[in-house]
Amino acid sequence: MNVMVTGATVPLGVAIIERLLADPTTGHVLAVGREPREPWPDSRVTYRMANLTRTREVHDLIHGDARAHAIDTVIHAAQHRGANDSGHYIHAQNVESARALVHACTDHPTIRRLVARSFAEVYEQPQATTSLIDEEDALDFDPSAPQWLRDRVEADLTIAAHGGSLQTAVLRCAELIAPDSGSQLWDYLSSRVCLRPAGFDPIINVLSLEDASTAFVLAARSATIGVFNIVGADTLPLSRAIFESNRLDIPVPGLLMAPLYRLRHALAGFEFRYDLNVRRFHFGGVLDGTRARRELGYVPQAHVHWPRPWLRVLFERLSEARST
Amino acid sequence: MSTTAGFHDEGYGYDVFGLHPPTLDRITHTCAPIYDRYFRVSSEGIEHVPTQGAAILVANHGGVLPVDAAMLCFDVLRRLDPPRIPRALTDHFVPKMPIVSTLFARCGVVSGTRTNAARLLERGELLAIFPEGVSGPAKKFHDRYRIQAWRVGFAELAIRYHAPVVPVAIVGAEESWPLATKLHLRWFDSPYLPIPAWPLPLPTHYRLRYGPAIDLGRDHVAADADDPAIVHDAAARVRDTVEQMLDELRRSRHGVFR
Repeated sequence: MNVMVTGATVPLGVAIIERLLADPTTGHVLAVGREPREPWPDSRVTYRMANLTRTREVHDLIHGDARAHAIDTVIHAAQHRGANDSGHYIHAQNVESARALVHACTDHPTIRRLVARSFAEVYEQPQATTSLIDEEDALDFDPSAPQWLRDRVEADLTIAAHGGSLQTAVLRCAELIAPDSGSQLWDYLSSRVCLRPAGFDPIINVLSLEDASTAFVLAARSATIGVFNIVGADTLPLSRAIFESNRLDIPVPGLLMAPLYRLRHALAGFEFRYDLNVRRFHFGGVLDGTRARRELGYVPQAHVHWPRPWLRVLFERLSEARST
Repeated sequence: MSTTAGFHDEGYGYDVFGLHPPTLDRITHTCAPIYDRYFRVSSEGIEHVPTQGAAILVANHGGVLPVDAAMLCFDVLRRLDPPRIPRALTDHFVPKMPIVSTLFARCGVVSGTRTNAARLLERGELLAIFPEGVSGPAKKFHDRYRIQAWRVGFAELAIRYHAPVVPVAIVGAEESWPLATKLHLRWFDSPYLPIPAWPLPLPTHYRLRYGPAIDLGRDHVAADADDPAIVHDAAARVRDTVEQMLDELRRSRHGVFR
């Protein structure tokens, strides 16, 4: 299996490549990223810089390097991470790059399969009282939703609705809890004080980098097509996630949440946006991973590493070192 | 009382629907006097409730707030040996209500969607369904114990998942706390704001009767769950059984409070 991985400079991309390299059936990996980086220590990896917002670059990448390396599977994990950015360029990064990839990979001489990353947020949740969300649940087509969300829905459908000869698998992942992964919850839990809507303590499910990379590699190896919910090994109430991160949990009236977090964003510049999270901070909505388990053989196993205060982490490591 | 039998811990002491057995234990312990002394709940036929495997309790529904559902769940927890946690399905607006939504979830209550019910039955859990839905608590006092709209989704689930249906008649709830009127305020998407006839439920004697399990799966194959006529007939069969049990239970009692 020769694989091309986009988003190779972000933690998820790196984890996918490492997981691929650990698999003896992997032949060559073409890693694609926007930033320059050191060559990979493994000779099976070729790093290629490319700007996927440019259709010509995508075409040249797919019909040049990918063809030369006999790539048969593409894993598209690149996505703009900033929740507060918007505009044409961000749309091009999130959506047009996916469209260009699908177009370039279709009827390609070597590429047979495209596995793309999507997000649990694409599901409609405003009226959702469902505790479990399966792949057939409604998507969020709210035209007034922030671009961050609309882009994700459009990119998801651009790939999922593709009907050509290219095998496509869209992985709607639970929120990835890892730094530099665009995780809203990571940013939320990185604050010393976490405000929570009083009277609500929804159940959330979060995904570790290890499990996410495993799911992508399983989907790359599989021949099944369609949409798959990728759940994590951690399912817990929001208050418990705050506790696990050693943060101060303060329930406040729901009406105050938005202005307080807007103020925090204005003063401290955090990425967390309450308007993107308002629904799931009220209603429990956990992805149902039955299909991925049945068809991909994916079972979440690795727990997330919570964003604990550095002093606490240091103390824990010192304790561990002393005990060993 | 141990309420951890059949509990699917997701790793932090909660299941995927938010059930937290220690919280349920605390609530059942705190509310025991309401069950034992206030409503003096008596029940018969608990042996008809399967002690393992997927099953559905189907009961009548009445009273302003779902006190009858709480007493039914409490009764199963108290009397079934070994105890099972009944997973009551609620209407869609309940999870939108602050405090109530979280409290109900910790006690095992689940939003009544098809996916949720299907997953619970696949896991071999015991569901408690009130097919009258909101029309039960919304009924007028003179309609008490007359079954209102009877949804059929439970019959479809029972056929598809081969889950036996245990009909349950609950008597006492509909005199305890009847509805006086409805205000058409759609707070938290609720269909109306109930105004009870009196501020607190009266201490009526709650009587519960569990009927012999009806095995709808024995008479049908799973594919029959897609046949509307079969599903409606199966639901009507259970409804007739519940009505008959209600009539018998009401005739056998010597008074609302005794």
